[in-house]
Amino acid sequence: MKLTRRHLGRLTAGLLGATLLWPAAASAQDMPAPFDNPGDVEIALVRYLSTGDFFQAYLSGVEAQAEALGVNLRVLDSRQDAALQADMVDQAIALGVDGIVIQHGLTESMKEAAQRAVDAGIKVVAFDVNVENEAIPQIEQSDRDLARLALEQAIEDNGESWKAAYVYVPGIAPLDRRNETWMEFKEKYPGIEQVAEFGTLDNPIANSVANQARSVLSANPDTQVVFAPYDEFAKGVKIAVDEAGLSDGIKIYSADISTADISAMREPNSAWVATAATNPAVVGEVSVRALAMLLADEDPGENVVVPPTLITQQLLNDEDVKNMQELSQKMPQFAHADVAVPDWMPLPERD
Amino acid sequence: MAQSVVFNIAGLGKSFGPNTVLRDITLALRAGEVTVLMGANGAGKSTLVKIMSGVHQADRGAMQLEGTSFLPGTPAEAMRAGVVTVHQNIDDGVVSALNVATNLVLDRLNNTKRGILFNPHRIRSEAREIAEQMDLSLDLSANVNELPLADRQMVAIARAMAHEPKVMILDEPTSSLSSKEADRLFAFIDRLRERGVAILYISHRMSDIRRLADRIVSLRDGRITGLFEDEPLDYEGAVNAMLGQELSAGHAAACAASEPIFTASGVQLAPGASPFSLALGMSEVVAITGLVGVGKTQLAEMLYGLRHPLAGSMQLDGKPYAPRTPADAIRRGVFLVAKDRARTGIVPDFNIYKNMSLPFLPRFSFFSITQRRAERAAARAQIENMGIVCRSERDDLFTLSGGNQQKVTVARWLSQPSRMLILDEPFQGVDIAARHDIAAKLRESAKERATLLFLTELDEALETADRILVMSEHTIVGEHRTSEVDMARLLAEVAGANMQGAA
Amino acid sequence: MRTELAEKPVAEAQQPESMQPSLTLREIAIRYGFLALLFGLIIFFSLATGGFASPQAAVFILQSVSITGILALGVTATLVVGGFDLSIGSVATSAMMAAAYMMVILEQNALVAVLVCLAIGAFVGLLNGLIICYMRVPDLLATLGMMFLLIGLQRIPTEGRSIASGMTLPDGSAAEGTFSPAFLALGRHRFDFFIENLVPASVVVLLVLAVLIWFFLEYTRFGRMMYAVGSNARAAEFAGAPVNAYKIWAYVISGVFASIGGILLAARLGRGDIASGTNLLLDSVAAALIGFAVLGAAKPNAFGTAIGALFVGVLLQGLTMMNVPYYTQDFVKGAVLVIALVFTFALLGRRN
Repeated sequence: MKLTRRHLGRLTAGLLGATLLWPAAASAQDMPAPFDNPGDVEIALVRYLSTGDFFQAYLSGVEAQAEALGVNLRVLDSRQDAALQADMVDQAIALGVDGIVIQHGLTESMKEAAQRAVDAGIKVVAFDVNVENEAIPQIEQSDRDLARLALEQAIEDNGESWKAAYVYVPGIAPLDRRNETWMEFKEKYPGIEQVAEFGTLDNPIANSVANQARSVLSANPDTQVVFAPYDEFAKGVKIAVDEAGLSDGIKIYSADISTADISAMREPNSAWVATAATNPAVVGEVSVRALAMLLADEDPGENVVVPPTLITQQLLNDEDVKNMQELSQKMPQFAHADVAVPDWMPLPERD
Repeated sequence: MAQSVVFNIAGLGKSFGPNTVLRDITLALRAGEVTVLMGANGAGKSTLVKIMSGVHQADRGAMQLEGTSFLPGTPAEAMRAGVVTVHQNIDDGVVSALNVATNLVLDRLNNTKRGILFNPHRIRSEAREIAEQMDLSLDLSANVNELPLADRQMVAIARAMAHEPKVMILDEPTSSLSSKEADRLFAFIDRLRERGVAILYISHRMSDIRRLADRIVSLRDGRITGLFEDEPLDYEGAVNAMLGQELSAGHAAACAASEPIFTASGVQLAPGASPFSLALGMSEVVAITGLVGVGKTQLAEMLYGLRHPLAGSMQLDGKPYAPRTPADAIRRGVFLVAKDRARTGIVPDFNIYKNMSLPFLPRFSFFSITQRRAERAAARAQIENMGIVCRSERDDLFTLSGGNQQKVTVARWLSQPSRMLILDEPFQGVDIAARHDIAAKLRESAKERATLLFLTELDEALETADRILVMSEHTIVGEHRTSEVDMARLLAEVAGANMQGAA
Repeated sequence: MRTELAEKPVAEAQQPESMQPSLTLREIAIRYGFLALLFGLIIFFSLATGGFASPQAAVFILQSVSITGILALGVTATLVVGGFDLSIGSVATSAMMAAAYMMVILEQNALVAVLVCLAIGAFVGLLNGLIICYMRVPDLLATLGMMFLLIGLQRIPTEGRSIASGMTLPDGSAAEGTFSPAFLALGRHRFDFFIENLVPASVVVLLVLAVLIWFFLEYTRFGRMMYAVGSNARAAEFAGAPVNAYKIWAYVISGVFASIGGILLAARLGRGDIASGTNLLLDSVAAALIGFAVLGAAKPNAFGTAIGALFVGVLLQGLTMMNVPYYTQDFVKGAVLVIALVFTFALLGRRN
């Protein structure tokens, strides 16, 4: 029964998609070259990280924007293999793509590969990886802003002096940038006392972090705030707080959001009170739009920053938000970023 | 036959600890002649080969190669001097992942004077040279592991020939070959003989020996007990010398056969072998003897459900008996003390009582939970009964001596009543004292079952059995009562004399 | 060879009598060394950190190792028959995804979800066993292949998304099912044990399974036969044991235990997380191998595996309480494993 209903749904979605393509194709003449003939344009997304909701949503944003433009998209996924990712850039060059989106990666391994792509006349944008190349615009979800928004909320909720536990794994670029903001905050507010620092990326991450957080919380039962600037960390800490029965005394502030995060934040008596996030799908869209502007010989700017939004438990409860879709509907600033949108740019359809 | 003596052994002796393995061996090998060395297991053949090929060093005596003293310290040294050995296990002689050409020149590749780079053309031409010299008509680019066994064996020998040996030792080269494959190997050995190599050929197979031997040397208990070189060769004399002449019949108090408990009729063991029948009586101890490789182990395993007869039927206790697995056989009361206890008998990580109860765990279990108290009591009774030397029934098996390990494996199967107890070479690797203990216990407990022993050593058979059956070429060729044994006929049957007429 | 064998008994016959039945110092060290080390660690951490020596901390350490412990007990069964199972980590994460899929997307109840997970575990184990026993693929390779297969397979139904209530499905609709409270209780319920709400369900599951598999391996005839198969498969065959059946059963046990681990993981996280489970695999294999050294067993054993898991748990939680960074913990984990293996193979191997 259920299955057939979903099949029907998929069918209608497909039909809808087909009809939507019509206007896009009709208006193709109004677009600058090479998008007057978008079927001939091919872009590649070269990924370093792909596991997890964030990256899944990012991919869907890239796909949506590519579809809106009518260009062909090729996804190359190196699954955390830095050397392979560099090879994949070369592969994309060999395939003769017109543009490349580099998504995450390591500066050292990607710098030269990116230069080779630029030398081959291919337009490149990079998301969340610094390839040290002037010709390549950086798409950023502004990790510093993410951390700042969450921490400002923590100050607002708890005053200027509290005992904090901090979850951090060095060496991961976005976490390192979020860490910089945390350092600044600790300097600015000397009342913040960091009693413990922990973190791990052993998967499932939430499970491993929960184990660690349990130990940290039993060693430091007077902890008031846990700053976990990555939602997998925050999930783990929340599990530990629940298991230790400490959800009254501890507040969790984090970054990033997903449907699962929303339900975790909205659980009764949840310690997870706020998170700052950019919509990963929007970041994906912005990445493709920036690349499209490059292809049309327009300048998206050296840094394309997608501004984050603060999402509190209060707000989710007040608006009765259950998933990412509803979050987009009820918070328009979350659903769309006014970044890299020249007049001719077609935007993905929204409901 | 007046060829020159190439290799000379004089007064060679070797002991391992208190055990003297070889005494006063004197033997000359001549160019262009195949000398067959016969000997039962433990006669000292392997030790002699190992001394000649530099694995062991002799304690006494001397060896000479072409008149100069030959005392190799390592196998490589022996090989360089011109004494080359091709071992029983073919895969020791070839590298199966490489092709024929590379195998043929492999030893040259190890030469340090050779360059680092691998030149396939040069290898191919060198290999072709060797193959032509040896009349070896094989595809040089074929991978060795795709070749039939005989071809592999020939590659191994041809590879050894690349050293231009003066003496070649072939240790049971046909043990894993079919008769057709063996024929090709024999033709090859003929060519070696023509090239003037002195060949020492070790084998149990009478058909090989009849085909190849120029002379026969029999070895028994570390001594040369016979040298036969006059035409026609006295094969029976050689077998007799190998098995021992001082055989005295009627050691065992022969027991008259009562009603048969087990019968087999028209059983065929191998393709082409003649079918045979077999009947075993209650309380009877029967020994089946014959040379190595005549199908004794196959028969033992067939009776125990590990193999299936090509034809024929069996009955146990008046009911049809066709075990598909050892578990079937055990349920019907047919037990097997298998050959080579280290591979098939012992669980090395288990202690004595766990080893003894292993096949009978269901009987020692209550709702599948093992009853250790009962297991240990049963094991203690058997330790007492067999006189096993140990501290307790909880000793790990690897702490026991070989004889005591064998006693444990036999005691395992004596610990429960059986209808037919089969023992395949139960005295292998066992000292005399343990052998007597085991034989005595077997006879003592033989009342309520049929006992079937498979023995290569004739004197063991004469010592323990009421009746002796002789196997040759996968069938039973003769029957003797131990009390009235005709030694001449028995030895002729072991040597395969009547098979000559039949085939 | 034969002649050497024949002369051996004479040389060795007297040896057993000359051995003294009392334990030497080295044997005591071999037997109780690891347990002493464990107690030493516990005392050290109790003194070095506040809050380590409490019933809550003890229970929590058990909870932190419950999932890897259960997996380790399963892999012990395959080690006993002389095999190895590299697929347990991915079986666990696949079971976690399956549980989430059943409840969130197919809207089934907790019982159905649990049964489906167990069935998946048993099926994967059966498949591993059949491939190893009848297709003659070496155990490491067969289960390695199965591991990759499962890592991929668990992503197919949701096109790589993690599963959570309200998630957007590939067709654009939202999943309406939720994790049933009964299922979540497996990960979150706590039983009273002297102190209220002390022992989590997962710890109870771990203890029950540990006792079960320990009893099975040590005291039933099936366990005994499995050890015989692992020590000398041919001898076991000649003693009438259906060797392949025992091997296949060992892989089924391993698969089922891994799927139980996956169920507890899903219940703890409350969602289906895409994960390869390689860390679960490595930690549980480490626990099983450390178990070799416990009580000087020098062979896979359930008690040793449980102690091994506990050892890793105590070490990691203690170090975390002392604020030691995570990479040091990996180092310590590895060091313990190396020491345990050296202990097993060098000290115990010399006996043979």
